[in-house]
Formats: sequence, C-alpha cells, structure tokens
Amino acid sequence: MRVYTILLVSIVGFAIASAAPVRVTVEPTMVKGPATAPVTIVEFSDYQ
Amino acid sequence: MLKEYDGRVRLVFKDFPLPSHDLAMAAHEAARCAGAQQRYWPYHDRLFKEQPRFQRDDLIDYAIDLGLDRARFTRCLDSHDEEPIVRASLAEGRALGVKSTPTFMVNGTPLVGAQPVEAFRQAIDEALQRAQKAPR
Repeated sequence: MRVYTILLVSIVGFAIASAAPVRVTVEPTMVKGPATAPVTIVEFSDYQ
Repeated sequence: MLKEYDGRVRLVFKDFPLPSHDLAMAAHEAARCAGAQQRYWPYHDRLFKEQPRFQRDDLIDYAIDLGLDRARFTRCLDSHDEEPIVRASLAEGRALGVKSTPTFMVNGTPLVGAQPVEAFRQAIDEALQRAQKAPR
C-alpha cells in the first residue's frame, strides 16, 4: 500500500575503499535539511 | 549542528543495525513504521533516548506516546515489511566500507565513531570550501 520514493543521489567525494563517487539511496522521510545543501552528511547508525 | 549550518548541510540517515544487537532490527523497522505516519524523526530521537529498551511492547508504547495510530503501527511492526529495506541499507553501508557505528560521510569523506563536534565542524568546513571551488 505504501509507496517509497527513493532518489538516487550522487555525492561528491570518495568511498572508503574505492575512488568512485559515493552513491546512496535517499529516502525523503529520513532526511533533514534541504536537497540543495552543498554538504550532505550520510550517517550510518544503529539504534541499539 | 544542522541549525548552525542552516541550509548548507543536510543529513541523510541510513539504517545500520549491527547483527550483535539483537533488538536493533525491530527498532529500525519501528522507526520506519513511525515514518509511515509522518513521525520518523520524533520516533528516531525517542529510540536514541530509550536505548536499549526495544522490546515489542516498548516500541509500541513510544508510538502511542507520539500519537501514532496504534493498530496501524502494530500491524506495520509485526508484518516485518520494513525488514528488507533495512537490510538493503545495511548492505549499502557495507558496500561502502562501513564496519562500525556510527559512521558518517561528509560529502563522501568518512568520519568514524562518536566524534567531537569540532571534528564535524572541520569536516563540514572543508567540504564547503571544496564545494565552492568546484561548483556542480
């Protein structure tokens, strides 16, 4: 029933292990701040 | 921190429930169930405050406290419909080299572990400078 809108964004920079730009899927409900922001912080975290 | 850099920084949260934390998966699913009722961030903040009290009844109590529809939330939680997307987020992190939490990437530059505010400020300032030099 629910529809996820998943945007693929390109983030300038480099992955830990490779020289390719980092790409992560972004779910709008899990984002704070404007899409036009020049800096994106991706946080991988665990609630526990 | 986001307020300090108002409009210049956005935060993207990615689920990375560690397998050694047996209650983490349910908590990550629960936050997404809250998101389905437009309460993702308040629920997210509540989870960090309450950790590790993440038994099913706890998760439902937090939802009720935030005014969520109990039946709808419980149905979502028990269905485990959110589990595949949480696992996908975990896999995405692993593919990027994430091994521990929290791991941050500031315009792709990793910042691992609970870092002092100053480390974030420095990483953000550097990223802002690079972004100015090479506008896209």
